[in-house]
Amino acid sequence: MRRNRGIVCWLLAVVLLLSACTKTGGDAQPAAGGAGTGTKPAETGQPASGSGGGKMTDVGTPRSQTLIVDILSGRSADPDRMNPYVPGAVPMDSGLHQLIYSNLWEIDTVKGKQIPDLAATMPEPLDNTNTKFRFKLQEGLAWSDGVEFTADDVVYTSDMLLKTKELGYSGYYSSLVKSMKAIDKTTIEVETVQPETRLAQKLGVVIWGTAFRVMPKHIWEKEDPTKFKFTDPVGVGPYKLSKRDPQGNWFLYEKRQDWQKSDIGKLVGEPGPQYILFKYFGPEEKRIMAAISHEMDILQDITPESWDVLRQKNTFAKAWYENFPYADMNDPCERGMSLNAAKAPYDNPDVRWALTLLTDIKNVSMATFGGMLRASPIELPPISVLQDNYHKPMTPWLKDFQLSDGYKPFDDSYAKDMVDMLKQQGVKGLPTDAKEMTDTFGVGWYKYDPAEAAKLLQKAGFKKQGDKWLKPDGTPWKLTINAPANFEVQSMRLAFAVADSWRKNGIDVNVQQMDAATFWDAESTGNFEVGSYWPACGLLPDSTSNFQGWHKKYIVPVGQQAPGNRNRWASDRVSSLIDELNGLKSDDPKVIQNITEINKEFVKGMPFIPMFGTSKFVPVDTYYWSGFQTSKNEFEGPWWWWSQFKYYTPHYKPTGK
Amino acid sequence: MKNWNVRLKAGVAILAVFLILGFVFPLFHPGNPIDWSAYPKNLKPSAAHWFGTTNLGQDTFWLLAKSIQNSFIIGILVAFFATVIGALLGLLAGFKGGFVDRLITLFTDSFIVIPSLPILILLGTLLKGRASLLYIALILIVFNWPWPARQLRAMALSLRERDFIHTALFSGMSTFSIIVKEIFPFVAGWSLANFVNTILVAIGSESGLAVIGMSSNEKATLGTMIYWANQHQAMLAGRWWWIGSPVIAIALIFIALFLTMTGYQQYSALRRGK
Amino acid sequence: MDFYKFLLSRILTFVLVVFIGITAVFFVPRFLPSDPVEAMIGQLTSKSAFMDPKAIETMRTTLNESFGLQGSLLQQYFGFFKRVLITHDFGPSLANYPAPVGELIGRALPWTMGLLLTSTIISWAIGNVVGLLAGFRKEKAYSKLLEAISIALYPIPYYIFALVLIMVFAYIVPIFPLSSTFQGDGFTWERIKSLVVGSTLPALSMILVGTGWWVISMKTLSAGIAEEDYVHFARLKGLKERKIMSRYVLPNAALPQVTMLALQLGTIFNGALVTEILFGYPGVGTLIYTGILQADYNLIMGTITISILAVAGATFVVDFLYPFLDPRVRYK
Repeated sequence: MRRNRGIVCWLLAVVLLLSACTKTGGDAQPAAGGAGTGTKPAETGQPASGSGGGKMTDVGTPRSQTLIVDILSGRSADPDRMNPYVPGAVPMDSGLHQLIYSNLWEIDTVKGKQIPDLAATMPEPLDNTNTKFRFKLQEGLAWSDGVEFTADDVVYTSDMLLKTKELGYSGYYSSLVKSMKAIDKTTIEVETVQPETRLAQKLGVVIWGTAFRVMPKHIWEKEDPTKFKFTDPVGVGPYKLSKRDPQGNWFLYEKRQDWQKSDIGKLVGEPGPQYILFKYFGPEEKRIMAAISHEMDILQDITPESWDVLRQKNTFAKAWYENFPYADMNDPCERGMSLNAAKAPYDNPDVRWALTLLTDIKNVSMATFGGMLRASPIELPPISVLQDNYHKPMTPWLKDFQLSDGYKPFDDSYAKDMVDMLKQQGVKGLPTDAKEMTDTFGVGWYKYDPAEAAKLLQKAGFKKQGDKWLKPDGTPWKLTINAPANFEVQSMRLAFAVADSWRKNGIDVNVQQMDAATFWDAESTGNFEVGSYWPACGLLPDSTSNFQGWHKKYIVPVGQQAPGNRNRWASDRVSSLIDELNGLKSDDPKVIQNITEINKEFVKGMPFIPMFGTSKFVPVDTYYWSGFQTSKNEFEGPWWWWSQFKYYTPHYKPTGK
Repeated sequence: MKNWNVRLKAGVAILAVFLILGFVFPLFHPGNPIDWSAYPKNLKPSAAHWFGTTNLGQDTFWLLAKSIQNSFIIGILVAFFATVIGALLGLLAGFKGGFVDRLITLFTDSFIVIPSLPILILLGTLLKGRASLLYIALILIVFNWPWPARQLRAMALSLRERDFIHTALFSGMSTFSIIVKEIFPFVAGWSLANFVNTILVAIGSESGLAVIGMSSNEKATLGTMIYWANQHQAMLAGRWWWIGSPVIAIALIFIALFLTMTGYQQYSALRRGK
Repeated sequence: MDFYKFLLSRILTFVLVVFIGITAVFFVPRFLPSDPVEAMIGQLTSKSAFMDPKAIETMRTTLNESFGLQGSLLQQYFGFFKRVLITHDFGPSLANYPAPVGELIGRALPWTMGLLLTSTIISWAIGNVVGLLAGFRKEKAYSKLLEAISIALYPIPYYIFALVLIMVFAYIVPIFPLSSTFQGDGFTWERIKSLVVGSTLPALSMILVGTGWWVISMKTLSAGIAEEDYVHFARLKGLKERKIMSRYVLPNAALPQVTMLALQLGTIFNGALVTEILFGYPGVGTLIYTGILQADYNLIMGTITISILAVAGATFVVDFLYPFLDPRVRYK
């Protein structure tokens, strides 16, 4: 650490001198003045007069060469802890897995397929038992401390996990991998416990990151993996950690001098930013103020209202789409209402369908995120890749789908109606042709039909008294929706919006906001009636892994913690389809067919009322940096909190301001 | 009325305005002011919507009226019971001394040492969102009586040694009547200040809970109004009518109470001829 | 003899109070339907959106084991006391496993102390001066003005008030940094400067809002005392108003204020959650809050135990000092 700091100081001194020579005169941006005050060249040992040129960040790097990124999960309580295998909340998304740690296989979300990263090939089966595989590693890579990266590191990581039972991931890893051995410096053979058809998905990245992170043998072998803090993290990624806030509010990363030997250097090219500063500014108000005054370049997860403010006050700010709906809608989970099939009356599909038909989806969309939402009628998120594979092909079936009494609930006019509604409110830049509308707002949703819902409810024994519903046992129908308290804003707001819609139809609905520990525990133990959970995720057309949890074998009684199937919805057909899927190779055409069938079962049973894909407002500021991905420049999605961030860095160039 | 000083007049006048706003106006509003999408969103104040509309499509004026009502109810309930319980127990302990004192002190101190915010959050979670406003008031009473109790015990300790108390004791007055008749007048001023402050603390704690999402955010109170306005960035977006009205309402209610209180103290001092 | 009896009874009360408080704080969170392991799994699954049910199952078993959550509630309860009394250790934080709770608190406490000690004492001092003037010299224009300012600021919800301060002084007129970055190590000029720059706004917000109550309380007390007979005698004797104020009114009115100050100083160990969140200031408040959110029992117990000890200690000291300050009260 101390040596690193020395290098940084020296570099800074050079940079300072250079910038002092090339840029004369002060910065012309008065609004951003706050950052530099009082803290400038303390660490560099330079006299204050030396920095006459460019603006500096408050960690002492030139602003023009520093990319500043928001931290999604906020402040870290213990910023020294970088060991990814200890169970606590390691500040993984404060740059650590984005810039330093690399994985064997990464994901290309635009194409919807995995790509090799540290590995050079996908795992090849050695025989037809599907238990022995071989893959090659990249050649010529090095850890950021200069030591060569070889197969020994991967094997060491594997052995360490198999051996160290105290690590949270160890149990699962041991149930997956029997052994790993290095054939030579770049070849690895794996033997699995069970036949595996999707090993790369289990050890590599599908969404966000993966638990299997390769660690440097030459450092780790001298330590106890359960206690080791790994305070000075070393990885194969293109950056290294150069400074951190002892309070855990920021982490400064610097480009490796030998970036050519990093995975990105070899696979993509030289990263643009010399420095990347991950910084947590505090509550949303402050993050927006920081973005308006060009103190933050990449924002994570803000509300549409905040985006409106930012858009109007900072013309350099760009969201995913240039116009309405602005937000990126390709997040791999969709939001909706989870129903507990183990609790009456929600064990009755008619009641679940009645609740679906009592949802005034257009108003819910407006109230949740101002209409900037893409609807989804099935159990997979409405992201582009999956829309093409499932939502669109399933539309004819959905149109013909009938409830038990012959009623056809599907309505494909949602997109068009939303466009009309928004047009009336004066929103500009809306899509005009039918395909574009569907791509933006989804293939459609279910009708808002209280009359049909009433029929279903009466069939289930409910009675209406005045304008209130009574349950079959004659008591008033009271219903609690569990919602996250001040995290996952979209799900939280969705709960309130749906409650508003149901309440207007005679159900006494109450939204219960819960903090994380209680919220998740209630889902797991089945202590909920309706919850704003998100059990419907997927990214690859082969979303087998995402459906695993719905197997009926994971159902446990209410009160016990369920490993999967937390809605406690038992479907024999879904379970047997999952079993079948597990035996199929990922590229088998039957995979998509089976998953389509699973989705039909979900529509019939409705254990989770799917509503909208997740709309992410993750805007960027193009004042200091250019080359960000947008809908027009879609080399990747805007997943700044994913481990694939490192792949974006070569695209970013300073604007020279 | 004619001897009332400016403070008293101003305080009572503002208070009356708010009471009318909170308890009379809502009677004239058909429908539920917290229903969403009842009106177009984000209208500026106009003749049709005096205080504009919110981003959720509620009329800010009617919402505010209902919120004032609920917050008043919480505030007054909490302040009244916390002050009365606190005063009685505190004075009793200070006056009686001995075992009673020790028991009551132990009781109050145990409540004082437990930090209230974590417990409030924990209890909020326990209530499973079925928290009626009454329940929130109850919890706030539990956490607000020990402070005045402790303070008043200290005052009673010092008063007990005064001559007139000795006189009262020797004349055979009962403990309760000594506390109420002889001691309370001396601490009435402070108790009144505490009462007024507790109203504010109650409204404030409720909004504090609301800010972190732990109040019943589907009920209209001044706290939840601030919560929703913050949620929708009313301040940065310049929707001052939405965020401004509950904040100004809280401030004005408090100032009115404060003016009434100090005005009344001056008024009664004047009447006693001092 | 009386004194020792008094001392003994106070110590007994102290121990009992701490014991009752800790017991309550131990059991309340555990009766909640929340679970640290589940919180951690939830956090992971909500982020990575995909975790094999098998992986969840094995992880739950391992974590329950490492966190020491097996055994009955009563065993855990005695285990806690044993650990704290014998090894003076609160165990590892569950949300930040395996970082010891003691270390996390030790890191946060100096910040909390620094900020809250300063701001509490300053607002107490200002509040008392203003309150005294407002109560005893209420006819003066300056006391009316001072009173009006502090009373007008006091009821504004703190969150809003602090946010407005940030907007005005860090965004519209950027005098202060938007987020406090503390630089340097040890006792250097740079460090002191960054501490001052970074803490001014949080301290200012707390002082401005915190003064109001002291003003009200002091004003009521001094107005009451101003009516006492001895003040009238003093006036009749021809003493100057200033002298009456400092000699007679202040000492008598200050007494309850000192009690309150001591209690207030005890509560600073709770931290200042909203300040910490809004200003990005490190401190105990955030620790307690995350402890609750993540059902991190050890962290909750550690932070709250310290707070309980501090408040109980403060009340103890107050009771003890009271007879010294007020000669009318005897040890009893």
